[in-house]
Amino acid sequence: MGPVIEAENLTHEYPDGTTAIQDVSLTIGEGERVAVVGANGSGKTTLQLALGGLIEPTAGSVEYFGETTDAEAVRERLGVLLQDPDDYLFNTTVREDIEYGPAQLGQSRETAACRVETLADDLGLNGLLDRPPFRLSGGEKQRAAVASVLAFDPDVLLLDEPFGAVDATYRERIRRRIVDHEGTVVLFTPSLDLVAAIADRVILVGQNGTIAADGAVREVVTDRSLLAEQGLRPPPTVRLFEGITPDDEVPLTIAAARQSLLNGEL
Amino acid sequence: MTGVVGRSVESITAALRAVFTAEQVAATDGFLQRRDPRVTLVAVAGLALAVMITRTIPVTLGFAGLTLALALLSAVPLRRLFARAAVVPLVSALIVLPQAVLLPGEVVASAFGLAITDAGVAYVVLFTLRVGVGVALLSLIVLTTPFSAVVAALRQLRVPVALVWVIAITYRYLFLFFDELQRLILARNSRTKGEATLRGGWRDGRRVAGTFLLRTLDRGERVGRGMRARGGARPPSPYRRSRSVDAGDYALLIVAAVAVVGSGVIRWGL
Repeated sequence: MGPVIEAENLTHEYPDGTTAIQDVSLTIGEGERVAVVGANGSGKTTLQLALGGLIEPTAGSVEYFGETTDAEAVRERLGVLLQDPDDYLFNTTVREDIEYGPAQLGQSRETAACRVETLADDLGLNGLLDRPPFRLSGGEKQRAAVASVLAFDPDVLLLDEPFGAVDATYRERIRRRIVDHEGTVVLFTPSLDLVAAIADRVILVGQNGTIAADGAVREVVTDRSLLAEQGLRPPPTVRLFEGITPDDEVPLTIAAARQSLLNGEL
Repeated sequence: MTGVVGRSVESITAALRAVFTAEQVAATDGFLQRRDPRVTLVAVAGLALAVMITRTIPVTLGFAGLTLALALLSAVPLRRLFARAAVVPLVSALIVLPQAVLLPGEVVASAFGLAITDAGVAYVVLFTLRVGVGVALLSLIVLTTPFSAVVAALRQLRVPVALVWVIAITYRYLFLFFDELQRLILARNSRTKGEATLRGGWRDGRRVAGTFLLRTLDRGERVGRGMRARGGARPPSPYRRSRSVDAGDYALLIVAAVAVVGSGVIRWGL
């Protein structure tokens, strides 16, 4: 399992002097499911943009697939979803937006049409395909943006808060699409609630823009003092079973908790 | 934002946004919608060229009639067409208005010590009409053809990539520009109460303009990233709308060719 993204000593300072990320080194392996978590303003979005080759870091470098440091050379393999769907949807209709990536990245019209159809079904966009994106509600825009990044079927997904403003039904559908993705997934989120349902590994970005922790999901999300230090809360099930179940047995998702309760294990 | 200035900015923004949202018209079944986008581009641009060559009011009115006919055949709401086509000729009219008194000719009226001549009035009317009809014709392209099809047709017609790029990005940013302004006004309205005075309105307008500039720059940068994330650093490559050129396409091309030649003959008397 070779690395798909290898960042070394990444630092990014904005023109106003704010240092968003500091000396970040990390490696994401092929097929890994990673959640990058951190409080608001910790530098997650900057890290995502730097890993996605959309900003030039002040220092450090990112290597993709062990072969190049030029993100544009591997653009079709990197699916970077920006945090704000309004930054992502700039075409005149939702359909054009979903088709934009496949068309720009040289994929066939037939393949794109097939993906548009599947994604529209999965994410409830069928009635919205011919509407201008700016006329959609917040959740609809988010779903259209997620469809737009999945449309060109990249090897690596770098998703910044893909669930923002989405209702529970579609949050689950998006989660399932992400889980079913056959490549590497890196999810950037301030909330640990869905992390265990998607990722195997958690990278915790500290409030000074450095990596505060990097490990298995259970190891990080049950470390209450570390999370509190970084302004984060453990997932709901960890909070619910605190003092009832040992940390190495606590269910990390609602589904796992329900199953354990049904089995009489808790 | 309340008051005269606020309401004006709001209504202009809403109107402009509506004007630039023409996809529903492009999705209807009409004469131009059924044409191959390359044919629509070449033929309608040819008709616009013919209008630009023209120097007589009757011929320009003839082209105005042809434009209306194309709009009706294509189920384009005339109100929307006028809304799109009216701004540019009105501004042009203001620019060429001094010609009404500057051009020598028979005096038809006097105002403020200035003599308005028949030649001057004819020039202003003709100029404004030509600009109006030309803009209306070009608006028909955008109203009846999805924008991605226009860009694909430009690429197929071997228009230089840099030019297509500029057109594609300008069009996309126009949407964002109006969207940003609309959101800014909504955000201010949500925290504003009562009717503002004219002075208050101007003050609000200045603040909005400043914030708008900064937000537009910021938004522009972020959208640029959104485009690059999906291959936007490469030349625009929208999917072609596969259509075959049919009898209607040839008819439109012939009409356009005849219009260009006819306008030339009438003007230069070849």
